[in-house]
Amino acid sequence: MRLLAHTNIDFLGKRKIAGILSFSMILMGLVSLVLKGGPLLGIDFTGGTLAQLQFAVPTNVAEIRLVLLENGFSRPTIQRFGSDNEMLIRMPAEETVQFSDRLKSALTDYEFTIRRLETVGPKIGEELKGKALWSVFYALLGILLYITIRFDRYYALGAVAALAHDVLITLGIFSLLNLEIDLAILAAFLTIVGYSLNDTIVVFDRIRENAKTQRRAEFYATVNRSINQTLGRTVITSLTTLMVVTTLFLIGGEVIKYFAFAMIVGVIVGTYSSIYVASPLMAALESRAQERSGK
Amino acid sequence: MLSRPGPRFAIIGLMLLWVIYALMPTVQYRALTDEQKEARRIDGTLELLEHRIINLGLDLQGGIHLVLEVDLPALVRSLADGRDDRLDEVLSQTDAEVAATDAEFFDVFATQAAAANLRLIRYFSSQGTKLPEIIDGLRAEADDAVSRALEIIRNRVDQFGVSEPTIQKSGRRRIIVELAGIKDPEQARKLIQNTALLEFNLLQDISIAQEVMLKLDDVIKVGGGPTEELASAQDTIAGTTVSEDTGLEAVLGAGLDTAAAPQGLAISAAAISANPFTAYVHVHGNDLVVPARYRHAVENLLASPVVRANIPSDGAFLWSARTEQLPVHDGEQNFYQLYYVYREPGLTGGVITKARADIGALGSSSSSQPVVNVSMNNEGAKVWARMTGANVGRRVALVLDKKVHMAPVINSKIPNGATVIEGMDSMEEAKMIAIVLRAGSLPAPVSIVEERSVGPTMGQDSINMGVRAASIGGFLVIVFMLVYYRVSGLIATAALIFNILIVLAALASLRATLTLPGIAGLILTVGMAVDANVLIFERIREELEKGKSVRAAIDSGYARATVTIVDANVTTILAALVLFQFGSGPIKGFAITLFWGIAASMFTAIFMTRTIFMAITQRPKIKTLSI
Repeated sequence: MRLLAHTNIDFLGKRKIAGILSFSMILMGLVSLVLKGGPLLGIDFTGGTLAQLQFAVPTNVAEIRLVLLENGFSRPTIQRFGSDNEMLIRMPAEETVQFSDRLKSALTDYEFTIRRLETVGPKIGEELKGKALWSVFYALLGILLYITIRFDRYYALGAVAALAHDVLITLGIFSLLNLEIDLAILAAFLTIVGYSLNDTIVVFDRIRENAKTQRRAEFYATVNRSINQTLGRTVITSLTTLMVVTTLFLIGGEVIKYFAFAMIVGVIVGTYSSIYVASPLMAALESRAQERSGK
Repeated sequence: MLSRPGPRFAIIGLMLLWVIYALMPTVQYRALTDEQKEARRIDGTLELLEHRIINLGLDLQGGIHLVLEVDLPALVRSLADGRDDRLDEVLSQTDAEVAATDAEFFDVFATQAAAANLRLIRYFSSQGTKLPEIIDGLRAEADDAVSRALEIIRNRVDQFGVSEPTIQKSGRRRIIVELAGIKDPEQARKLIQNTALLEFNLLQDISIAQEVMLKLDDVIKVGGGPTEELASAQDTIAGTTVSEDTGLEAVLGAGLDTAAAPQGLAISAAAISANPFTAYVHVHGNDLVVPARYRHAVENLLASPVVRANIPSDGAFLWSARTEQLPVHDGEQNFYQLYYVYREPGLTGGVITKARADIGALGSSSSSQPVVNVSMNNEGAKVWARMTGANVGRRVALVLDKKVHMAPVINSKIPNGATVIEGMDSMEEAKMIAIVLRAGSLPAPVSIVEERSVGPTMGQDSINMGVRAASIGGFLVIVFMLVYYRVSGLIATAALIFNILIVLAALASLRATLTLPGIAGLILTVGMAVDANVLIFERIREELEKGKSVRAAIDSGYARATVTIVDANVTTILAALVLFQFGSGPIKGFAITLFWGIAASMFTAIFMTRTIFMAITQRPKIKTLSI
């Protein structure tokens, strides 16, 4: 069996349409981010408490919210978590003192267990935020250096532009859907970076190989041909990876669900970007440089 | 050499052996029922096994992760001679500035105090007379508070009831405590935060201890106690670990280094049914010692009702806080000391005002040896003088939270509380004893700044869901590969399964921890490991289309794809390394599986599948390839 063999699609010819699509996706996410005052950060970064409660019988979220408010908890965020019996309660940092004891006395009329409790002090949250930003920075820097060494700086710029594109779009989608960014999602982002790059490099590698035997004037054609040659592999790998992350999303449990969701978005966007963002951008930079040195 | 399949298969075979060796204990452990685990715990062999299995993270087996930090404003307040609004104000301003700027607390405190015209000498005259002295003194106090808190928590380790707790200092002012598999996180949290209790209990005479223990032998034999089950539990596992025929009579009084001590001091069921208590206890000099592996068995005995009812009301058995290495006839072994003390403490540690490790004064009996100098308040000194005066020549145990840290002999009456403790082997040990003594008198104000706890049922749910998702995801990928690449797909599947086994074996060997994100990483590895094979296979197909022979197509397919695979994987490995460096527990788990997954995929996809192809294409007649 063989899919997508001997295709001859003019990918670079559609770079304008692709550019418009990418820009509008990014813009949409940015608008959402600006309107909402930045990404919605989880307690890992803001500090606060998160408790996952399991009740003996299905219990109403609104009812619990009312009980908590009556017992002096301010600003509790409560949502259903998986089954009808479970819910997730989030509290801002100033409510975390003696949280579990207070919770138990507030909910004496209910039979429940605390299945998971996470408390992060505001100071730790700040530190984690700083560390997170640095880690993304170092990852990108390392990648930029590696590609510059193995290829050249135009390839590196193309690849990093594609990465920024992928992370911005995923971040935007998380903002649009009001999903929280916590440590696990950050890990997903870094994995997306790794994955998207993996895809990009496979294409770049073929371009480099083909360019050796090709005249300069036909650089765009070479890029197109390389993308077509690797298309089968690109699609198959994205497919198998999507299979596993979708399985994870559907049956991996609530805790891992949004991690898997970020990966799904990342794999789709990453596959698209290595074809429509990284390669055209690199080709444009590379051929402009070649023209200059040719004159 | 590696151009022929033979040696290559040998390498793969070695890898396979290593994988089996690394994963056997985990399989064995998982197969044990709870009763078998308990039997092995009493027999002392469970711990060895637990050391070699794949560690499950807190999120998978339940447990608690705590980060404690010294509450500096509270500490400074408690050290001040008197406190007033001005000091409080400077402290709260300092706290706010530190939170905002991340500067060092005591530097900010010094500048804030100067700005507010607050003379620190008024509050901290005991630390020194000049500002730098005072600031350094306070800083040292903060460090000491961390050491005390650390020691108190370590001292309570066994009360948490988990096999491998992590208790470590992080940075200068923080302590990380991780208790995996704990049943009740709340109780653990309270146990960590409780104030420590230091007591001084006089030791009872060793002959009395021996009488009590012989009596316990009798009552356990008559009253049943847990002996029956113990002996039978020993019997059931004797074939594997405890050799029956050592003919041991480790009866009380037998010295350790005599020939009576059996190989590795395994104790036979026969000895246990003859002397159900004393079989475990040896005499070493003036001490009673129990081999570390049998501590759990002796604890069980001590906790049984029949034993509790037969220990005289004025006595109590206490364990030493640490193990000690003692020579046995075939090497060394770890022992706990068992102390038989008077139940009522003669003095409690609140009376201690100072405890410092030092070098013994010249001309004294401990000249230039490490010692601990202790001072007490008036009230304590009076009781201490009476207690030491009446018991010269006897031993007194320093007991922190029911653990004996030392049991020195009282040399003479100590009239004014100024006590010198000698007999430490090193300055480190002296410092430790000093910390223990301070821990009982000075509260260490620590607060929880981060907590993550997961209930045990939640962990089990996560494992079930993770394993289910992994199996279904893996199954889908395998089916796809078989349909799409046929026989070659089968080879890729073998590589994929081997890949997962290698990752798990690496986790077990490195004592790394498998977390829920770790399982996600493993699943992701499945998706990405196939990629290497897809790259190779697609390339081989292209080469075949160019009209190359099967062997030439395989050769050039692998050669060209390998470059791409390495380039593409290095970047993902970079991302994994950054994650590992930055991440905390669960994220680290993800980074580890991702890293090993990719590393292993290069071996399985490039080396292993190539070897199989080599073997297939060695037959000269081969014309077509199922790909």
